[in-house]
Amino acid sequence: MSRDGLLRFADTVNRETAPAPAPMPGGELHLIAFGLDREEYGIKVGQVREVIRVTEITRVPQSPPHVRGVTNLRGRILPVVEIRSRLGLEPAVVTPRSRIIVVDVQDRVLGILVDAVLQVAKVPLDTVTPPPDEVLSPQTDYINGVAHWSGRLIILLELEKVLLLQA
Amino acid sequence: MTQEDNAFKELIDDYVVECLPLAERVADTFVELERRWHAGSVADDLLGSVKGTLHTVKGNSAMMGLAPMQELAHALEDVCALLGRDAELQTEQTAALLVAGGSLLVEQVRAAAKGGDRRRTREFVAQVRALESRASESAATVDRRRGDRRGTAEPGAEPSGSVVRVDFRRLDTLLEVLGEGLIEHSALVEAYRRVARRSEAVEELGDLDRTIVALEKTMKRLEAVVMGIRLLPISTVFGRFPRLLRDIAHGEGKRVRLAVSGGETALDKAVLDRLGEPLLHLLNNAVVHGIETPEERRAGGKPPEAALELSAVSHSGRVVIRLSDDGRGLDEARILAKAEALGLEVRSADPEQIRSLIFLPGFSTAAEVSQLAGRGVGLDVVATSIRGLGGTIDVESQPGRGVTFVLNLPLTLAIVRSLIVEVDQERYAVPISHVAETVRAEPEAIHEINRRGVALWRGDLIHVSDGGALLGTASSPTKARRFFIVISSGGKRRGVMVDRLVGHQDVVVKGLDPTLGRPEVVSGTTILGDGRVACILDAVRILDQRIPA
Repeated sequence: MSRDGLLRFADTVNRETAPAPAPMPGGELHLIAFGLDREEYGIKVGQVREVIRVTEITRVPQSPPHVRGVTNLRGRILPVVEIRSRLGLEPAVVTPRSRIIVVDVQDRVLGILVDAVLQVAKVPLDTVTPPPDEVLSPQTDYINGVAHWSGRLIILLELEKVLLLQA
Repeated sequence: MTQEDNAFKELIDDYVVECLPLAERVADTFVELERRWHAGSVADDLLGSVKGTLHTVKGNSAMMGLAPMQELAHALEDVCALLGRDAELQTEQTAALLVAGGSLLVEQVRAAAKGGDRRRTREFVAQVRALESRASESAATVDRRRGDRRGTAEPGAEPSGSVVRVDFRRLDTLLEVLGEGLIEHSALVEAYRRVARRSEAVEELGDLDRTIVALEKTMKRLEAVVMGIRLLPISTVFGRFPRLLRDIAHGEGKRVRLAVSGGETALDKAVLDRLGEPLLHLLNNAVVHGIETPEERRAGGKPPEAALELSAVSHSGRVVIRLSDDGRGLDEARILAKAEALGLEVRSADPEQIRSLIFLPGFSTAAEVSQLAGRGVGLDVVATSIRGLGGTIDVESQPGRGVTFVLNLPLTLAIVRSLIVEVDQERYAVPISHVAETVRAEPEAIHEINRRGVALWRGDLIHVSDGGALLGTASSPTKARRFFIVISSGGKRRGVMVDRLVGHQDVVVKGLDPTLGRPEVVSGTTILGDGRVACILDAVRILDQRIPA
């Protein structure tokens, strides 16, 4: 599949068309992979409602630093989180490849602004390893592990933790 | 939870929705009964209707297997039947028993999910039986027949078939869909204008134009219908006041009669939900501070029973609520003295201005003065909640004659007429009710004191903030803005510099997601005609802000 084809496919992903994966021998993770700068990150497909193109994002005065703003999702106000600031990266520059991943976490619907959506994939569980202790810190508890799969590294994120919904 | 559990919960919810107003009506009637007996007047007319209402509550409770409520309603019915036959029993003691029973019934129906309180019901029923046996001793002819008496229709019951019950959340959804329709309509108008500018004198454009105008009218009507459905009578809030007032008055050793009018005046449920608390606060203040004891009143040549009047009328898209008492009135000299003690600058000897000082925060903590001045406990809280609803609060007073609070409220919070302004390419909606004026800002008209903007407006110097600084936009500090808007609420005013006045629009208010924190300068969001989201400025809180931008 071409990259554009993948993007189109990702745009149509939602709960209904992407049911939870059937358990396979050894197990696998059903992921949606997205890019931020040079790295690839993955979150569980089950938490993703849909992927939308970026339209106008309105800044909300005095909102927390990790909030990019709000956008109009078919008449509904969707808060858009700047996940990059949580991961220690510079704020995103919106390009034609940028997407908002609409996730449903703990009964809250939020958008995550990413540089690009790369793939929806089933990754075998036995490719997942913890990252080396040396690169972790108490603040990086949102990293669930790293999938080393078909020549790529996908950093697996725990959405509840990365979106600061723990409290 | 199993499906049966869910179904049962729904049934219980239905039961509460249906029976709580009935139980409240019963309790209110008993309060009125007690008042009339106390005043030495007859109340037999009340007994007939209350028996019918009790009968319905009893039947519904039996159907749900709620034995305590069933028995309670039954016992109250018995007392009413007894009273109809034996006028000797019309004593304050019986009245107190009925009032207690009515309150217990309301309490139990409200908490129906818990199944009712068997112990307290048993205690109450025992008291009723004791009353009955005393009555039968004095009159051996007491007829104790009970059971089903009649099948007459409920007084005040809605004719079945013409009324449906709808979950209010579905009305919220309806409003959301309407909002989307309004937005799409404005988008259509904008698109039409773009086309009309380019194509010259195309005949079909006229048809399109007419259709758009017709659609606009239809949307307006649809909006009116949807808003009409969301409106509930204000009696849903007023309804619980007679009982609460009775308890407060008893506690204070005062006698009060509450006259309510305009209960049918309709307001959006969202406004009603936030109105009960401030109104109760005002009622409480009136009884505790405003109204004198019966002895004081007699000495002052007033009837010992104080009169409280609560009224509501709708007037050009707004609702005016008045609460008057015939108590001692405000002591303006003391208010003035307190203001000076607090270091507040009182520039005017105008009684109206002096009275409005009682809404300032400083007065709320001044317990001893408010006791003497007659008012002041937490009035700033009341004023803040009313202003938060986009309303105003004023006070009128005559020494020795009483106090009247006048609340002016919008019909709805769901759709707010707003001025759309632009600051550094960002658009904001400012509710028209808080915009006093829009002014073209001549550069020489804005001065600086302590590096903050001031301007002369209607003869007063007011603080003028830069919109960009207030809202934290990315702007160059030297940039000259072309307009300022004067926002006002509760006598406070402030100018805000903006780049452009875009126009007026009825905006559909959407809340702030908790993810967005608790911004002080915006109260909500809305979607504009072009589909973009705009924040709604919170004028009340901007005016309250101590830190000027």
